[in-house]
Amino acid sequence: MALLEARSIQKVYTTRFGGNPVTALSNVSFSMEAGEYTVIMGESGSGKTTLLNILAALDRPTRGEVLLDGMNLSQIREKDIAAFRRDHLGFVFQDFNLLDTFSLRDNIFLPMVLAGKNFEEMNQRLIPIAKKLDIVNILDKYPYEVSGGQKQRAAVARALITQPKLILADEPSGALDSRATDRLLQIFHEINFDGQTILMVTHSTKAASHANRVLFIKDGVIFHQLYRGNDTNEQMYQKISDTLTMLTTGGDCHE
Amino acid sequence: MNRFFFQKLAVSNLKKNRQTVVPYLFTSMITAAVYYIMLSLSQNPGLNDMVGAVVLQEILGLGCGVVLIFSVIFLFYTNRFLMKRRKKEFGLYNILGMEKRHLAITLAWETIILYVLSMIGGLIIGIALDKILFLLLGNLIDAPVSLGFFISTKVIRSVLMLFLVIFILTYINSVRQIQTANPIELLHSDSMGEREPKSRFLLAFFGILSLGSGYFLAIMTKNPVSSLTLFFLAVILVIIGTYLLFTAGSVVFLKMLRRNKHYYYQVQHFTSVSGMLYRMKQNAVGLANICILSTMVLVMISSTSSLMFGVKEMIDTRYPHDFSVILPADSPEQNSKFASEIRSLAEKNGIPANEDTAYSYLSFTALHEENRFQVKRPEDLNTLSSINQLSVLMILPLDDYNACMGTNETLTDGEILLHGSRGSDVSASEIQVCDRNYTVKKTISEAPKNGTVASNVATAYMIVTADSDELIHLYEQQRAVYGDRASRISFYYGFDTTADKETQNAFYPVLKKFCSDFESSCTVEARANGESGAYALYGGMFFLGAFLGTLFLMAAILIIYYKQISEGFEDRERFAIMQKVGMSQDEIKSSIRSQVLMVFFLPLLTAGIHTAAAFPMVKKLLSLFNLTNIKLFLLATLICYLVFAVIYLGVYLLTSRTYYRIVSRQSR
Repeated sequence: MALLEARSIQKVYTTRFGGNPVTALSNVSFSMEAGEYTVIMGESGSGKTTLLNILAALDRPTRGEVLLDGMNLSQIREKDIAAFRRDHLGFVFQDFNLLDTFSLRDNIFLPMVLAGKNFEEMNQRLIPIAKKLDIVNILDKYPYEVSGGQKQRAAVARALITQPKLILADEPSGALDSRATDRLLQIFHEINFDGQTILMVTHSTKAASHANRVLFIKDGVIFHQLYRGNDTNEQMYQKISDTLTMLTTGGDCHE
Repeated sequence: MNRFFFQKLAVSNLKKNRQTVVPYLFTSMITAAVYYIMLSLSQNPGLNDMVGAVVLQEILGLGCGVVLIFSVIFLFYTNRFLMKRRKKEFGLYNILGMEKRHLAITLAWETIILYVLSMIGGLIIGIALDKILFLLLGNLIDAPVSLGFFISTKVIRSVLMLFLVIFILTYINSVRQIQTANPIELLHSDSMGEREPKSRFLLAFFGILSLGSGYFLAIMTKNPVSSLTLFFLAVILVIIGTYLLFTAGSVVFLKMLRRNKHYYYQVQHFTSVSGMLYRMKQNAVGLANICILSTMVLVMISSTSSLMFGVKEMIDTRYPHDFSVILPADSPEQNSKFASEIRSLAEKNGIPANEDTAYSYLSFTALHEENRFQVKRPEDLNTLSSINQLSVLMILPLDDYNACMGTNETLTDGEILLHGSRGSDVSASEIQVCDRNYTVKKTISEAPKNGTVASNVATAYMIVTADSDELIHLYEQQRAVYGDRASRISFYYGFDTTADKETQNAFYPVLKKFCSDFESSCTVEARANGESGAYALYGGMFFLGAFLGTLFLMAAILIIYYKQISEGFEDRERFAIMQKVGMSQDEIKSSIRSQVLMVFFLPLLTAGIHTAAAFPMVKKLLSLFNLTNIKLFLLATLICYLVFAVIYLGVYLLTSRTYYRIVSRQSR
């Protein structure tokens, strides 16, 4: 059974003053198996962030349904949804979303504390993750004291510590320089190798080239998808570029 | 550029920032109105007709000074807050191509608009309330008010001038802030200063020390005389302690909580401890200000209102008789002849004297140690501890006591009767006065009334000796030490009357003249005269207390309001992140509530503790004004605190609504 399944998702925004409704997603269906590393690509305004928000239960679809591990997200009650998100999903954001009031350690602990875990358990889980992400030495620093790459690695640690079924990453390398980006992508690759399922949204070809599968989204529908097969990252990169060129120059896959 | 460009921009800026501008405008209006009222009352010609006008005008003049200083500080404070919020806006204008010169012109127009509006509003409110308050004041001090509408152009002019100066100063300050910053700094000034505060153990320790010693002084001071000198010391210590504890102490405390892992890593503590740590850095001074202002309001209103409502009792203590005369004692025959002459003089003036009291007595100050009363030279008395031991002795012979009180006590040689006033200790069975040892035969609960002794602030003891020879002996003893400043044996004659107040007031100068003709060093007192003076004094003080209390309360409210708004903007981001990480709406709400409640009610609670600690000291200070009714003062304090808490709660509910609105406006 698929770990994540999206069935004909539609999302229509109606403005407050009764203007024209805007369709962000018209009909999106796809599924992901456990252990996959999938990237959703698309330009600004293509609806990819809307899709991620729906998958993350931060937003509800106008039509269609999302199943995570067989559970229908739209059937989870409003008051349980925060706990659900905390227990099953891990998030990595473009702007890190670390709290300046907490040290990196406490930022990483935040979802665990919210889940009511005790200190020993959190600490035990943190040690291997911090080692893997190479942030052991900066755990007691504050977000404003460390570099962007270090912040993002702390954010990844925060996503991993709850041992989620799925990690959702929204343009995680968007605010990083190229070296930090390489390092982060390497980390994603490694944690995926360890069995972690990852779904990333990005418009960076380089970030996408590390994935096993790339979905292209345009004007609210999934337009095309690529599988890595046995390609290297460089070959994958080339394939993605070609697809993007085709998409932007107006190629029409449906016909 | 369009001719009215800057004016239009200024108007639209003010409109856009109404969330912060309106309270600022309101503040300047109220301070202007308050200043106008103070000044106009103190210069109101109608006051001159009232009894005790001089005292009242002095009190109101003092109030003017306080309001003036307060207005300057407070308007500066709120203006700085406004500017801080608007720096981003100015940075944006700057980047969009407005020169700093243009910003300064826009700001000048804004200042002019605000000045004009607040002057119009302030003067209208001031003039409208002036008359009402004057009537109220007249009523309070029990004087007939007879005047029409009083508007003084001189007062208006000085209000306009004062606020012009204040507004120009704030304007210069704002322009200086814009001039020194570059656009990028202006744009990002919002997100500056988020570093975690450091623990400053030494400062926290000094805070505890300072607050503790302030409390210690307030609670442990036994003698009203020394409480007057120590009061200000205690106030300063408590203020310093409050500031230090709010700034350094809170951080140290919160970090201690954080170090306890099992406490800290729990949902309800995790976010609130770290949030508080962050808040305390930004708001500690504001919170300390609120706390001190609140304490001032509470102490001021509760003490002045008890004085006001206790004035009748105070007058009864101070003026036990409608008329009283004290003069150096002569032979008993001469004394009683003098008394009957006064009686017939009173009769002639339409003052039938009844219930008269006459006795001779000796009263002097002595140092009270254990069971010994010693007289010492003032030069040896300058240490604080000896001030604490000062007490007043009133000594009278048994015959006079029996005659006054209608009792039939007997004493043998070396025996005395002992009576102690407020704060005294009459448990001893033997006491020593100068070189004499006495056995206390009995302690008595009633003593012949004497307003002069009662008005002395030190603890008073009355000793009834077997005969007047003892009196003469003690007189010689204290005279040997005090020399020229020694008290003499005096004769007291006091009587009550049924005549009305006007007749009494008319008789007072007649009696005074008669007595001073008879003996130049005499004291003549009339209750009716003292009453008017007391009403003017206490009424004026109460009025001032309530007035300044309202002003300080307004200041406290405004600080709270501004704090809530600025925190709301900062917290919005934080809570949006927490929600993404998996905090539910309910958890966020309860976390916000607990933090806001703590921040909000910490000053109220601390103000309550301060007031409670000040209670014993203020109680003693009030006894300087002859107010000994502790129940009244306690009641007044409690009512004040309750009313204050209710107002505070109202403000909390109002501003926290604004706060929630800001926080829940999701930044997507």
